[in-house]
Amino acid sequence: MPIIEVDHVSKEYQLGAMQGLKQGLLKTAARLTGKSVAERPLFKALDDVGFSIEQGEVVGIIGHNGAGKSTLLKLLAGISKPTSGSIRVDGRVAPLIEVGAGFIPDFTGRENVYLNGAIMGMSKDYIARKFDEIVDFAEMAEFIDTPVKRYSSGMKVKLAFSVATSISSEILIIDEVLAVGDLAFQQKCIERMENLIKRDGRTVIIVGHNIRQLQRFCERIMLLDHGRISRDGNPSEVCGVFYDEAQRKNIARHVITEGAIEPQRSSGDITVNSIEILDDADIPVDRIGLHEPLKIRATFTCARKLERVEFNVGLHTSDFVHVISVGNALYDALPTLEPGTHQFTCRLSDVPLRPANYALRLLIANQYKQALWSAENIRQVQIAPGRYDITKLPGLGLVDVPAEWNFE
Amino acid sequence: MLQVAKNIYDYRELMATLAWKNIALRYKQAYLGILWAVIKPIMLMLIFTLVRSFVGIDSGNVPYPVLTFAALMLWVFFQEAASEGVTSVVGNTTLIRKIYFPREIFPLTSVLTKLVELGINFLIIMALMAWYGILPGAEALWVPLLIAYTILAALTIAFVGAALNVYYRDVGNALPVMLSLLMYASPVIYPLHLVQEKLVVQQAAGEWSNLLYQVYLLNPLAGLIDGFQNVMLRGLPPDFSAMLPGFVLVACLLPLSYLYFKRAEAYFADVI
Repeated sequence: MPIIEVDHVSKEYQLGAMQGLKQGLLKTAARLTGKSVAERPLFKALDDVGFSIEQGEVVGIIGHNGAGKSTLLKLLAGISKPTSGSIRVDGRVAPLIEVGAGFIPDFTGRENVYLNGAIMGMSKDYIARKFDEIVDFAEMAEFIDTPVKRYSSGMKVKLAFSVATSISSEILIIDEVLAVGDLAFQQKCIERMENLIKRDGRTVIIVGHNIRQLQRFCERIMLLDHGRISRDGNPSEVCGVFYDEAQRKNIARHVITEGAIEPQRSSGDITVNSIEILDDADIPVDRIGLHEPLKIRATFTCARKLERVEFNVGLHTSDFVHVISVGNALYDALPTLEPGTHQFTCRLSDVPLRPANYALRLLIANQYKQALWSAENIRQVQIAPGRYDITKLPGLGLVDVPAEWNFE
Repeated sequence: MLQVAKNIYDYRELMATLAWKNIALRYKQAYLGILWAVIKPIMLMLIFTLVRSFVGIDSGNVPYPVLTFAALMLWVFFQEAASEGVTSVVGNTTLIRKIYFPREIFPLTSVLTKLVELGINFLIIMALMAWYGILPGAEALWVPLLIAYTILAALTIAFVGAALNVYYRDVGNALPVMLSLLMYASPVIYPLHLVQEKLVVQQAAGEWSNLLYQVYLLNPLAGLIDGFQNVMLRGLPPDFSAMLPGFVLVACLLPLSYLYFKRAEAYFADVI
């Protein structure tokens, strides 16, 4: 028996602002007399969504802005009701939405802990028992009797997160709360979340944009696209689809106009006319296999004489993790370029990237390391499994380094 | 209605905490603190007493200041509970967007908050009664029931008003104005028996007099204030015939008001 069941749920919002009294009265009059009225346009935030979640599952929800993620969370938490369809939730839901939004600036930390706890549905006794633990976790013992208005924003979020995660409920709904505090505290938060999930066996639904973090927590991810569930299942598969979509959008922005690639930064000294990806036979490709060689060839025009020019090419993921970056400076191959059109070819003898979509980056700099031309997301490069069986790759990691195994 | 009682019981701790928040928040940075709760009725009492010295209002055998204070403390409680109840949902927008619990908690908490302030006013009236040498009789046992009835009357306005206020903020702005007008149609400055004498005994409005008197009594506060003065100051039981029209009105409207609130609450988070 699933703990959450969502059945053909749609949610519509009216677009536009509230109309004045006169408009409203006229429309009511028209409706009463049976005339047709120009209604405000409707926006479908969720469109016929259906899924079920079993006890103890940890489910992530991803999607572009406005895909309906927060709307779905609000429906699950009972804050808002669906326009059509039904939602069944068995058990108490603790929503960690806008953590700390209920803090009263004039109250001390202690008072706010009790208030916030009560709002989240904890009893006074329960909070009293957990109080020291909450304060310790937030590292706020020193300031607990200071009004919250004197807190820094980081202190507020730390305390709020600590209260919110002390709750005992069967279902946790989390909206983008893991990005709180400094790095050390974030680590602590992640550990705490993992404890809540793994040790207590809670059912958890997380919404977020930090896909890598979600991939780490969740055993199942749903991808929302314009109010519909477009994918639902294995995290790395669903996230892969999402990354590809994001990359397509980014690359589409770099339209090549009149034989020149539009740079993100440029000093005007260099224009890049074209960039190609080639295999070893010099045939243009946009996909190569794992551990196969790859050539990048670019044609560019210098407006004036440039000395000791540095070139960096690289591949990055769609969330801008630069997994490969190579430069000619390391090989002391810094050319001096006369005005006119030139070409360079850079050969990577072995691309060790896990099969997925990557994007190309190019940076050209002068001898003082000032950028002459640079752009990311220039074009998509797909790494295919090639001669390897992808199912034999371990689940984590971005780079596959040749390894030798010995067993004695 | 059973569901309401269950919700009140289930969420009693939350309501107590929210009420404590409301009170603490209002008086936190104020030097006089909670004393501000009694300043309004006391000031009004002083003004009315001053005015009475020019125009002359027959207060029967009870001293006028304590008679009008009794009326004022109940009236101010009703007025503030109703108008704060109406703005309570919009005033808690952040909570409405963040978490679900039955939304009637908000108007109920407003009433609860005002109940604490009413309690403080009870200390004042007891001091006044001691000053004038009035001893409350056994009839004073009616007080809790009268207060409960006042709460129901305030909630009748608060539920429907709070829901409407989410859609049209005009309601929250208009209500205090309307209520302060209603004060003059309630026996606050003058005692009820003056109205009764004018309309029922003297038939001042001709054949309409009796009907007009019943219309006057439709205001639940008319019978309530008189009843409260009876049990506290006159040592008499409440005048049930004076309370009946108002009570019927509240009994009819309160369920409707509550149902409207519950129907609207599903959309609070979307509209607010």
